[in-house]
Amino acid sequence: MPLLEVSDLSVRFDTDDGPVHAVDRLSFTLEEGEVLGVVGESGCGKSVSLMSLTQLLPSTAHVTGSALLADIDLLRASSSRIRRVRGRTIAYVFQEPMTSLNPAFKIGRQIEEVLQRHLDLSRAAARKRATELLDLVRIPAAARRINEYPHQLSGGMRQRVMIAMALACDPKILVADEPTTALDVTIQAGILDLMRDIRERLGTAIVLITHNLGVVADIADRVLVMYAGRKVEEAPVHDLFASPQHPYTIGLLGAVPRPGAASTTARLQEIPGRVPSLAEVPQACAFADRCPRADDLTRSQQPELREVRPGHRVACFHPGGEWAA
Amino acid sequence: MSYVDTAAAIELSPRARRRRLLRKRFLRRPLAIAGLVVALAFVLAAIFAPVVAPHDPSTIDVNALLAAPSHEHLLGTDELGRDVLSRIIFGARASIQAGVLATLLAMLIAVPIGVTAGYFRGWLDPVVARLTDVLLAFPFLILAVGLAAILGPSLLNATIALGVGAAPGLIRIARGEALSLREEDYVRAAVANGASDASIIVRHVLPNMLSTLIVQATVTIPAAIIGEAVLSFLGLGVQPPTPSWGVMLSAAQPYVNEAPRLALFPGLAIFFCSLSFNLLGDGLRDVLDPRTTR
Amino acid sequence: MSEPVLEVVDLKKHFPVGSQLTGRGGTVYAVDGVSFVIGPGEMLGLVGESGSGKTTVGNCIMRLLEPTDGTIRLRGRDITHLSRRDMRPLRREMHMVFQDPYSSLDPRQTCGQIVGEPLRTQRLARGAPLEARIRELFDAVGLRPELRYRYPHELSGGQRQRVGLARALSVSPSLLIADEPVSALDVSVQAAILNLMRDLQSEMQFSCLFITHDLATVEYLCDRVAVMYLGQIVELARTDELFAHPQHPYTQALLSAAVVADPEVQRTRRRVVLEGDIPSPLAPPSGCRFRTRCPLEPESAPRSHEEDPPLLEFAPGHLVACHLVHAGREAPMLIDAPAELA
Repeated sequence: MPLLEVSDLSVRFDTDDGPVHAVDRLSFTLEEGEVLGVVGESGCGKSVSLMSLTQLLPSTAHVTGSALLADIDLLRASSSRIRRVRGRTIAYVFQEPMTSLNPAFKIGRQIEEVLQRHLDLSRAAARKRATELLDLVRIPAAARRINEYPHQLSGGMRQRVMIAMALACDPKILVADEPTTALDVTIQAGILDLMRDIRERLGTAIVLITHNLGVVADIADRVLVMYAGRKVEEAPVHDLFASPQHPYTIGLLGAVPRPGAASTTARLQEIPGRVPSLAEVPQACAFADRCPRADDLTRSQQPELREVRPGHRVACFHPGGEWAA
Repeated sequence: MSYVDTAAAIELSPRARRRRLLRKRFLRRPLAIAGLVVALAFVLAAIFAPVVAPHDPSTIDVNALLAAPSHEHLLGTDELGRDVLSRIIFGARASIQAGVLATLLAMLIAVPIGVTAGYFRGWLDPVVARLTDVLLAFPFLILAVGLAAILGPSLLNATIALGVGAAPGLIRIARGEALSLREEDYVRAAVANGASDASIIVRHVLPNMLSTLIVQATVTIPAAIIGEAVLSFLGLGVQPPTPSWGVMLSAAQPYVNEAPRLALFPGLAIFFCSLSFNLLGDGLRDVLDPRTTR
Repeated sequence: MSEPVLEVVDLKKHFPVGSQLTGRGGTVYAVDGVSFVIGPGEMLGLVGESGSGKTTVGNCIMRLLEPTDGTIRLRGRDITHLSRRDMRPLRREMHMVFQDPYSSLDPRQTCGQIVGEPLRTQRLARGAPLEARIRELFDAVGLRPELRYRYPHELSGGQRQRVGLARALSVSPSLLIADEPVSALDVSVQAAILNLMRDLQSEMQFSCLFITHDLATVEYLCDRVAVMYLGQIVELARTDELFAHPQHPYTQALLSAAVVADPEVQRTRRRVVLEGDIPSPLAPPSGCRFRTRCPLEPESAPRSHEEDPPLLEFAPGHLVACHLVHAGREAPMLIDAPAELA
């Protein structure tokens, strides 16, 4: 039984310029203790879809579909029910640690607040647990730093505090939305190590949203590739990188320079064109405009997800091979 | 954001395209249009007052003192038998003049000082900043009243007083804009081109401050209009018999029970005039910002 | 080598912060003794993380800032303390591409006006010939000519960066400084811009200082690489040499921290994960600045606490600033060199 089962999730925003179909019939599952990487570029719907799980989207968003977490449909839960899920069962870590922490309060107080609200701990017990959490995320001299303000910490430290807050109530799922994008490379390595550690020690399932394929290669078990609001490919991590099926995935992998002598001579893979407007749900393959394999079929019909290998699904009429074929 | 199909666009000259775009945007804003129409009406009324007004504002009709609105006098007459409507129309002159000219004066003072301080920084900047802080501690009207009292009562002096009184607030705005704009990469790119400071200010800083300045102007004009009314009410602005909405309000005081319309009509004039400029300004600011999508 | 296009000798830039009046001020040692040379047609990558000072180096060379100390020579001419007026004619020789595709273009100008501005400011072209040159430039960077009449906000991030490139190259400079030109773009767009820069550079043969935090990009584009840490260069070498035999422990840490899009490799490679934070440039550690995070610190102490290691030649063209490395003594390899991983 998977921990989380999302079926046909669609999100539509009503804006001044008309409807925007941010997510189109997304389905996926998450097992206990699994690390799922959700990969895509800006505007593909990866953040929106994960935020919809705990009803964090603004009122202009219309969400359909279902998201089952142990018999509760998160998308239809009442506001009091969903508030109990937020932070407790599903916790979030966002990209900007600079702005996610309240600058007016000490970090210890902010963690304690989460503990007191959700777990009803006494002040003393909360303080003790907060110190433990800071230790867990490997902040040195935790007992002293617990009394510091966010501005006294570096970006990497703040992100660790955010992770500590997210883990405060031992959630089943940790959703990390671009957690390392704003951090320096050497700091990023530390955060990724930490997340790996957390998964091993606490058994927390992690959904890692990122545009960086390297990050996904580092810690994900399974990967979901999104494009223009849809899932276009899904596979276990080794499979995805060893034999990517969807031309978008192939293009992305080819677009990143790989350290090593071979890459200095080859040309980087460019994906021509732009992401299509999300004003309508397309009747054709959303990637057709930019795809070297586009033909009449792909321009008139939308490909559905098909399993091409065990556990490896792709939404494409002409999957596999290299970029051009 | 929708995909703009440039191939289909007709290749007009950039100027013509822009004008067309601005016009289209403006026409999508009913409030701004209403503001424009009403503000324009007041301005035209002020300019063509002798033509538009049914009576001479100073003519006394002894037979119709404090008369109620009638066919002859659409808004009635005041305590000296003068036609209220005509006085309101002529009164617009003082208000518009004070409002617009005072704002212009304030801009002419504030923008050079503020931009110089904010762009060049150096020793000038802290001096300007502290000075404006001190001046801003005084409410705008108090400053204006004080200055008008020193200068002596007249419409011109009232205008100057209002303009100078409004300047500190605008200096702060202009300085703030210049401070932030000078950090923009396109300003650094212009420096990298070898452009002089003067040309950078003219080509890059001022145009990007434009929409903020317009908003500020449209907030200042109504404030100045009300300020003129206040000054005239206190006897520091326009002197009788020249009509002004403020003077009319002041004169209406003793008759508030018998003929409240004597206060109501000038009051409404002030209200609609300042509101219309406000709405117009809001709309203009929206329209001029290249990033507006509608 | 023939006359270098750019020579930077012991460049320093210090920023006073806080109130100098009350004495509670301090100094940010943003750039503290940087030296390198760029030859004609050569691309030098300048790599570092936050606080490394790489962007400040770029700004000093462009004379957007005035250096505190040191010398900058552009085509043999000392430009370190030239006045704005004297710099003007030299602005034809060097230009810059900025990181942020949104703020680097004036939102109130059309793209055509933006690209034409350097030529106009430098009085190099006007009227019809200017228009023709603008069309040429748009073509060279792969933009449709109609986009000349568009405003920046109507273009995508990638298109905006192309406009920035066109503007910078409009005066045919000998030196282009590119400050993180692709960091703000999506992955698929980055590839297009990097390919474009590569093509333009081989066609126009300008020298380039490519500032970035991304080592992989540097390997793809640059001939030589300089690694910076807290205001100083810690290693400088030809690209292939650096990636095959990185010496400085920071370089090794940086290389191993850069995630590779290959799970087999990424999960099995040997890595150095640095502890702690990057120290603040307000108070850099005494002696070797890297010692607070260096895995080899126990070996290099106590010397590393007192002496700042000079940048010395380890092998021809390969300079390293580390007490444990000098000609004849290689650094221990703490990682799997990328060249081996490929």
